[in-house]
Amino acid sequence: MGAGLASLVGLVASPRSAGPALRWRKAASVSDLPADAPFTAVLGERHQDGWMETRKQSVVFIEKDGDAYRALSATCSHLGCRVNWDAASSTYKCPCHGGVYDRRGNVVSGPPPAPLTKVNVRVNPQTSAIEVEL
Amino acid sequence: MKRLTAQVADWLDNRTGFRSLRRHALDEPLPPGTGWWFTLGSLLLFGLTVQVVTGIALALFYAPTPDHAWQSVQYITTTVRGGSLLRGLHHWGASLVVIAAFLHLCRVVVFGSYRKPREINWIVGLVLLQIILAFGLTGYLLPWDQRAYWATVVAINISKLTPGIGDMVAAFLRGGPDIGALTLTRWYAAHVLVLPASIVVLVAGHLYLMRRHGISGPATPQPGRSEMFHPHQTARDLTVALVAGVLLAVLAWKGAPALEPPADPSSSDYVPRPDWYFFGLFQLLKYFPGRLEIIGALVIPGVVMTLLALLPWLDRGRTRLVKHRLSVLLPFAAGLAGLATLTVLGAMDKPPQTVGGAWNIRQIGGLASIQTEQRCVRCHRADGLAAPIEAGRISRPLDWLEMHVADPIVLAPGLRDAPQTNTGETRAILSALQRLRTSAPPHVDAETTHIYKLLSSNCLNCHTVDRVGGTEGPDLTAVGKKLDVSTIEQRIIDPTTVDPVAEMPPFGEKISPEDIKLLAAWLAKRK
Repeated sequence: MGAGLASLVGLVASPRSAGPALRWRKAASVSDLPADAPFTAVLGERHQDGWMETRKQSVVFIEKDGDAYRALSATCSHLGCRVNWDAASSTYKCPCHGGVYDRRGNVVSGPPPAPLTKVNVRVNPQTSAIEVEL
Repeated sequence: MKRLTAQVADWLDNRTGFRSLRRHALDEPLPPGTGWWFTLGSLLLFGLTVQVVTGIALALFYAPTPDHAWQSVQYITTTVRGGSLLRGLHHWGASLVVIAAFLHLCRVVVFGSYRKPREINWIVGLVLLQIILAFGLTGYLLPWDQRAYWATVVAINISKLTPGIGDMVAAFLRGGPDIGALTLTRWYAAHVLVLPASIVVLVAGHLYLMRRHGISGPATPQPGRSEMFHPHQTARDLTVALVAGVLLAVLAWKGAPALEPPADPSSSDYVPRPDWYFFGLFQLLKYFPGRLEIIGALVIPGVVMTLLALLPWLDRGRTRLVKHRLSVLLPFAAGLAGLATLTVLGAMDKPPQTVGGAWNIRQIGGLASIQTEQRCVRCHRADGLAAPIEAGRISRPLDWLEMHVADPIVLAPGLRDAPQTNTGETRAILSALQRLRTSAPPHVDAETTHIYKLLSSNCLNCHTVDRVGGTEGPDLTAVGKKLDVSTIEQRIIDPTTVDPVAEMPPFGEKISPEDIKLLAAWLAKRK
């Protein structure tokens, strides 16, 4: 009986960890992008959070990279805080534990174990919108 | 009457045996010299009792869902009678519990009270310490404000470092694919059900074992007669609890801790900092780059706890005297010094500078916009169509405020014209409204307020000043070092006259000449 109850609690408490599938989403217009700094795109969408519907927000930095575009997740690879673009040093800085990344997302200093996650990016030829795969 | 009372007591004792329980609990002979150092455990028990009582009262009003948690805590703070005091007591009570647990642990180590036959009680005490820290961690998610959200992000990511099962542990703590409703409910369940049940069982076990082996007493046997626990030690315990209670009441009376803006995963202005008792770990995490992060996050804390747990077996001193136990006490003192240093360094790592206390330029500028006659105060005033906008009275969620500020016709049809769109000003108003939820604005003189309004409405969308604002344009924090006042003025009026390829739009027709002069003079002083 005890084992049965414990199994039931374990089953109920085990998390549903699969998130929504990746899809292409509009993040900016080509004309939004400044010449010398990354564009901060905040993408919001409704999503199911347990029993309630809420708005999930993701932040991506988008920048022109030669003829193509580069998109980086704004989530620090160390412990998940939100990194910010520092125009003075042209780096991304994490306000939590001091991680610093260059504009390509590579670690410059501090504790991050990996570069900022690259996000797939493309320009929609019909709408000229910059889309990211999130 | 006396006889009747005695008869009732006899009857009860016959049925329950309460007199022998009382004797067992209180009539214990103490080793000579047992004194004030031995009140720390009772102080901890007092702190835990305060947390249980205030926690139950808070639970009467708290709603553990992301759409209501923040508002229910704000309701407790601003509307419930005595609610601010209640939150203050629970907040400072948590610090009291951590301090008392820590001092109690130090006392046990210095006096060698963990030694044979008290090894098991020492281990139980260390588990209790972990539960106390878990209370702190799960507790500060509950207000669902910015601090809560980002502290939980960091904590869950630390758990991912657990070798082999990290992702599973993190997923279990999160409850769903992202931190959200399912995280809040399970951390709430842990905070109010699982951890309290565990702590009650372990405290009972701790007290039982303490009584079974007796109080260890001073490390050096003292001459003199032993005294009974009651009333001598109980009097000391009550005195310490009374002093702590008064201190708690004074701290809580000064007000509940500021509730930060509601959790916002996209926020880029917020700088997360943990509660003071996690400053040591917070600082430690900065020193282990790359794949070494597991050392700061798990290995060092794990090794410290393991060494503490093994103390009764590592301590081979002939007696409990300090001079016979230096091989244990010196490393312990070094560890304490290390923790204290890390905690102080963590505390000194201040969030970026803001002006006017916790208010930054954008927020002060946004408040000035709110108070402009053509904007919010047209309706939001004492004799107006809507309630005045006051600190601590903003209860609508951010989504609603965004819609309302951008287009109030949708939410209040017929009440006013559509606002003149200015992204910078709208953003500043929203930022000020978020800040007003928790704190009253600072006093800033009229000219500075006006300049901040100009900055937040026109400049901060693209430029940063004092670490607030956009990053598309150059940082203007120290622009006075590079440009003189006339160049700045010209750049504002029409930047192409100074730089033919400038992308910045001209503001000569958007801002009055007097305001441009004012703005240029202020910026030129930024060096």
